[in-house]
Amino acid sequence: MIQKKICMVGMFGTGKTSLVQRYVYSMFSQKYHSTVGVKVDRKEVQVDGETVKLLLWDIEGRTAEQDIPATYLKGAHGIVYVVDGTRRETLDQLESIQETARRAAGSVPSVVALNKCDLTAEWKLKDKDETALRRRALHSIQTSAKLGEGVEQVFQWVAAATVNAGLAR
Amino acid sequence: MMEQGRIADDARAGTTAVPARHATKAAPVRIECTGLTHAGRVRSNNEDHFVIASMRKSVDVTDTNVEDREVFSVLQAPSAHLLVVADGVGGRSGGRIASGMAVQTIVQYLSEAVGCYQRMDVNAEHEFLEHLTSAVQQSHDRIQSEFGSQGGPATTVTMVTLVWPRAYFVHAGDSRAYFLRDGRLRQITQDQTMGDLMVDIGVMKEDEARKGGLFDVLASAVGGELSPSVGLVDLQPDDVLMLCTDGLTRHLDDARIASTLAAAPDSASACKSLIDGALQEGGLDNVTVVVARCTPA
Repeated sequence: MIQKKICMVGMFGTGKTSLVQRYVYSMFSQKYHSTVGVKVDRKEVQVDGETVKLLLWDIEGRTAEQDIPATYLKGAHGIVYVVDGTRRETLDQLESIQETARRAAGSVPSVVALNKCDLTAEWKLKDKDETALRRRALHSIQTSAKLGEGVEQVFQWVAAATVNAGLAR
Repeated sequence: MMEQGRIADDARAGTTAVPARHATKAAPVRIECTGLTHAGRVRSNNEDHFVIASMRKSVDVTDTNVEDREVFSVLQAPSAHLLVVADGVGGRSGGRIASGMAVQTIVQYLSEAVGCYQRMDVNAEHEFLEHLTSAVQQSHDRIQSEFGSQGGPATTVTMVTLVWPRAYFVHAGDSRAYFLRDGRLRQITQDQTMGDLMVDIGVMKEDEARKGGLFDVLASAVGGELSPSVGLVDLQPDDVLMLCTDGLTRHLDDARIASTLAAAPDSASACKSLIDGALQEGGLDNVTVVVARCTPA
């Protein structure tokens, strides 16, 4: 079976763990727990009729005191960047986070989850932000870990992209 | 009274504090580990178990004409450290049997499957993690085959496998793993109790769950409903890793654990101070502590 290591990266509190919880366990936690180190979960998906095992590395978020440890990103086949759409700075930091990830993992398929889209009143992102991401060749999907919106699509997209990238090599 | 003694015999007796010291040299740090357990001041039986083990490649060069024989010495050095605490639950002596069976099965399984931990490319690392998870699953299967899958004894398991600098953990229940870095204590594992689950998913408020005793009911346990969490953290020189059962954390808060770990000159005195602290605060439950200090070599 094909195995793909997918890393969840972003600033602290953007909902990386919640997205994985929703995707793997169909659960949403109301209480915030900050991740220490990496939590590893697995889920099998179908890509073009083939079973792919996703190894989801939910990596502790970047804080003012600590960057994302590059050692966790080594060997990643794909990356899900998670942005909290209600905190503009989590998008502003994306470019430097992307640089950290690129140095550690190389240019691997990546998708941006613009998370917490259920919080419409607090939403800080504009259409032009998504256009800017596209210009940087980053595919983005609005997600709500709370409601499940866009969650399957994010992981299905990255699974397919990593498989296709593998075939292209 | 806390006594020192041989690990196997005294740990089985379960009524004394039992240190198990194990110190090895593995560049660039020296990993020094101690485990200690005590029945507490209220309970007559100790249903906790712990184990500290090292895993190494079994290559012993008995003769060679290679000039630099030192190149082979690395093959004999301990390369991984296994630390496990388990807190049994269940009537009569069931909990004690379950926690003992769990740690035995884990060590036995890993002794047979250990060859993979040296090759750490991405796929091998996941294979290794699968082995660690399988070790816990095996202990679960063994307990259930012995006692049945409904209503039998069960146990928490918190297991850390340290392949410097990476600490891999597999965890079920409400025992805990922490590490101390620069005076800051961080909890690696999350408690898996019904109380935590109900509060997490927003079904209950914390005080309601506490009133209902749900923080004393395990949502995931080896021998019960098993849903282990798996992960890893990279350690740094001077970090201190600690595993414990809830007999410690029901009495000592994070600040006290952190100051005790920071003040102790070695892992043995850290364990003793922590257990003394829990006993001074009432010792309402069995208490087990495993400490690993990662000091620069």
